[in-house]
Amino acid sequence: MKITVNDSSKDVPEGLTITQLLALEKVKMPAMVSVQVNGAIVERDAFATTRVRELDCVDFLYFMGGGGEVR
Amino acid sequence: MHTPARNLETALIHSGSRPDESTGATSPPIAQSTAFAYGSAEDIEAVFAGRDAGFVYSRIANPTVADFELRMTVLEDGLAAIAVSSGMAAISALTLALVGSGDEIIAGSSVFGGTYSLFQHTLSHLGVRVRFIDPTRPEALREAISDATRMVFVETIGNPKLDVPDLMALAAIAHERGVPLVVDNTVTTPLLVQPRRFGADLVIHSTSKFINGHGNAIGGIIVDTGAFNWSNPRFPRLAPFHERVGQFALIAALRNRFCRDLGCCLSPFNAFLMSMGMESLGVRLERHCGSASTVAAFLATHPAVDEARYPGLPSHPGHVLARCQFGGRYGAVVTLRLGTRERCFRFINALKLAKNLTNLGDTRTLVIHPASTICRDLNAEERSAMGVSDDLIRFSVGLEHTADILEDMDGALRAL
Repeated sequence: MKITVNDSSKDVPEGLTITQLLALEKVKMPAMVSVQVNGAIVERDAFATTRVRELDCVDFLYFMGGGGEVR
Repeated sequence: MHTPARNLETALIHSGSRPDESTGATSPPIAQSTAFAYGSAEDIEAVFAGRDAGFVYSRIANPTVADFELRMTVLEDGLAAIAVSSGMAAISALTLALVGSGDEIIAGSSVFGGTYSLFQHTLSHLGVRVRFIDPTRPEALREAISDATRMVFVETIGNPKLDVPDLMALAAIAHERGVPLVVDNTVTTPLLVQPRRFGADLVIHSTSKFINGHGNAIGGIIVDTGAFNWSNPRFPRLAPFHERVGQFALIAALRNRFCRDLGCCLSPFNAFLMSMGMESLGVRLERHCGSASTVAAFLATHPAVDEARYPGLPSHPGHVLARCQFGGRYGAVVTLRLGTRERCFRFINALKLAKNLTNLGDTRTLVIHPASTICRDLNAEERSAMGVSDDLIRFSVGLEHTADILEDMDGALRAL
């Protein structure tokens, strides 16, 4: 089925969970990623049970970087 | 939160980064680098935008520090953690993230002198009101908490009063009013208690103490247990972060605003020393607690000692609660009273093994006279609330052979 991950179109197996999607996408530092599906945040405890559906928009958001480094 | 290893003693050793893929090295590399280069402008933009994982500047995040943060998150069974330059930096940054002018903090009256000074003296002129309560009386919290309260702060065992608050009772009252409970777990560590299990929302450590364990690096950490909902209207500054990253709102706010702006970063080398030190926390704590228990029993019955205090002594008013909260072990800090300041000084000067310095949780047995040192800037009323009298001595019992520790103390007591 087709979904969007961070604005890129992806073909993924049916019934994929968020946990499985993170592994499939080889997401770096999965402990530091926040996940939104269609604009709604998925709580961490629900990663293993939340399944993506056809045409879902998934966003992986980090808060590791960012901000100006030179002051 | 995280899939735990079978026991924490195992997690201490195996919860860091995996062995290096190219070399198999099991110790984390020390990324002693100020900044991190990217192959393209798009790649670094993605990291700044939060669309990709990566490190940009070590004041904000660093791989070696991240390894330590992960270890502490697992140890506290938390959601996420951010490491900073000291325990006081942890308390300061967290307070500034949660509390503003016109807001209120409620703190235990027996908190460590540095924490007291931060709340009472440093923050008060910024318009932050602080109320100190007896942390062993939950009803005192119920009476004190108000619509202006933004956090309740206690230590698992007061330093050096050694009082033991009922964490679950305090958490229940704080949560009734929508206020987070912050617990300083420095003196006990997660091996004695995971405050999350008793309702704590945030846990801080001075990792300079037992986590490091060797007296060679200063550091601190803030762990978000994930229990508190940061969309709470008491915290409007966190709203934009909550909108973006949900339950990570506070950690994201600390990472990308407060700690970033304060610049209270932990050095990569200190993070490495923390990670290495904590791997042996299991065996160290076993020895610390065992020896402390023996020392406390010895001092409690010694004719030269007016009073010995240790949560593990049945005579301690919080002993039953401590047994429940800390699983039958009571830490390494023991205090005694010798009657006068002069006797205290003679005793300390006669010790040959214990080191006279201000720290806790070293491999060495440590001793200090709080009234003339770490608490000397406080007035009489403040010292009394902290349980600091002129004749009080505090020990952090170390890892030497118990018989040698006892022989040292016995010899010094005979010199009185």
